[in-house]
Amino acid sequence: MTEANLLQKYASEVFAGLVAPVAEGLQVSAAPAADPLVKEDVLVRMERELKHALEKPASERRWVMVIDLRRCVGCHACTVACVAENKLPPGVVYRPVMTEEVGTYPNVTMKFLPRPCMQCENAPCTPVCPVTATYHNEEGIVVVDYEQCIGCRACMAACPYGARTFDFGYHYTEGLPVFDGAVIGGKTAAEYEHISQEYGQAWERQGRHESPIGNVRKCHFCLHRIKDGVLPACTTTCIGRATYFGDANDPDSLVTELINKPNVIRLKEELGTEPRVYYIV
Amino acid sequence: MIKKISYAIGALTLAFGLWGVYVRLFEGEQSANYGSYIIWGLWVAMYLFLAGLAAGAYMLAAFDYLFNVPQFKGTGKTMLWAALVTLPAGLASIGMDLGHMERIWKVYLEPNFTSFLTLMVWGYTLFLILIVISLYLAFKAPEKAAMKAVMWIGFVVAILVAGGVGFLLGGNAARLYWHVGLFPVQFPVFAIASGAGLMLMLVGWFMPDMDKTQRSNLLWLLAIISIATSAAKLYFVVADFTQSLYGGVTDNLIAVNYVLNGPQAFTFWGVQIVLGLLIPVIVLAQPKLAKNGFVAGLMGLFLLIGYAAGRLLIVVPGQVAEMMPGQAAAFTGPKLDITYTPSLMEWSVTSAVIGFSILAILIGMDRIVRFKEVKK
Repeated sequence: MTEANLLQKYASEVFAGLVAPVAEGLQVSAAPAADPLVKEDVLVRMERELKHALEKPASERRWVMVIDLRRCVGCHACTVACVAENKLPPGVVYRPVMTEEVGTYPNVTMKFLPRPCMQCENAPCTPVCPVTATYHNEEGIVVVDYEQCIGCRACMAACPYGARTFDFGYHYTEGLPVFDGAVIGGKTAAEYEHISQEYGQAWERQGRHESPIGNVRKCHFCLHRIKDGVLPACTTTCIGRATYFGDANDPDSLVTELINKPNVIRLKEELGTEPRVYYIV
Repeated sequence: MIKKISYAIGALTLAFGLWGVYVRLFEGEQSANYGSYIIWGLWVAMYLFLAGLAAGAYMLAAFDYLFNVPQFKGTGKTMLWAALVTLPAGLASIGMDLGHMERIWKVYLEPNFTSFLTLMVWGYTLFLILIVISLYLAFKAPEKAAMKAVMWIGFVVAILVAGGVGFLLGGNAARLYWHVGLFPVQFPVFAIASGAGLMLMLVGWFMPDMDKTQRSNLLWLLAIISIATSAAKLYFVVADFTQSLYGGVTDNLIAVNYVLNGPQAFTFWGVQIVLGLLIPVIVLAQPKLAKNGFVAGLMGLFLLIGYAAGRLLIVVPGQVAEMMPGQAAAFTGPKLDITYTPSLMEWSVTSAVIGFSILAILIGMDRIVRFKEVKK
């Protein structure tokens, strides 16, 4: 083996070991390749497992998200990716990252808590909806039917995680200068911004009253991406590989492996909501 | 004179309110100050207040038609009419709060009966129908058994819908300040208290033609009811707050401090306690003052303002504690605040609701009197 070949083979591994020291075991155990020194990225593994899960009937999947709080660096990339993916308007957020400063100088540290919708199995938000506009779909994800929602916000009041926001009809492109005939400018930007593709459907957010304006909105684990075998935007964008997604009904999946560890918690578990989002602490 | 002033105030408040209604209907909810963290604001509070007022008015009408309390004789129609006005007014207030109010029909045709909101909508619809039937029978056959039967059903439904509002908030385990087991018990008391306040106004200011002795006795009885219910309300508030402070649960501490020392301190101490409770109780405890129509009416008004403030101080503080610590700072944008003061548009819409109620009650009372005269 030449020196060049040796470097090519092991340098990436050394680098991976530096940036992800706490993920020992995860990548190695997932590696399907014959060469034990070639590690499979968790994203590749999760995407493979996602496609495998999609081969099963929808009701047999149990999507869960696992967030490793030890690896979250508070970069908010997941928040921004979610906003971009779902074209969320101003004032609507599905996955904020809570930041907490802990300790006193000089012993100070920051703690970060990404908070998507918990997709609770015993969701307090669904039974309070007067018109069944929010419910568990066949895969167990809590969704909102924008054409059904009357905008009473009872689900928002009932959610103990504050995971729902209301679409008041704002646009980022409001007030931008318009350059007629150009591919830039307010009009072009607005045309892009005003059409959202959530739930696999084009939603034109026009005027002040067209759904999803006047509706409650929430994280849906990027169902439109999952359907096509693509991981949620927050998962693929996480620079620290702190967010994992997959089918907890698959005993061999990465998420099953993770949620069976003892250092896993769920938020406000005492409320009996049975969240599908787990945190590694 | 008071009636003319009241008509003028009703017309002015309605006129000011039409601007807010226009803005809400045609420009949406952006100019409201409630948002994604303070979810329910002034309009929800006014719904609680007005719907409670309707239930209370109906209960007091039952004092005439059901329980035959002599002091209440001849006042039933007026109170039924007041219930018929204030219930739709309250529903209009909550209707304006809906993001898609044009879809309200779905609650009837595609209801989800596990939702307490659905049960309340259906309950209020039933209550409204019962008020209409009661009023019809009050004119056509007040002495018949049908009237008694309808009034009994209506009386029970009034208690249930009033208590139901308490459950609507109290059943929400996510909001500890609301999650009080006694809420469904407290709200019917609030309802009858506000009904008595309204009746003090109506009898004291707008029913001078009543028999002088009966009117005097009725005002005194309403004063006693008001004092008793005010004392009960004060006891509930003190019990809730001391329990919350003693228990020391963070969300409750945030909410109670918000009321006692925070941005709503004046609304609580100044409006709810001093104006809406202490002054009326002290004044109404004097028989001579309580039997004075003008004074009694004024105290009734103070009581109602206090009760309305009380509803706001139930709705808003229950939402000021962040569901997740750091939530409000995690992502910035419009309507992602944890503070709330009603906007001018919200006040304007409430002004329309109040103006409508004042005018409708007065016009109805005048017509009820005219009906009486026609009958004579």
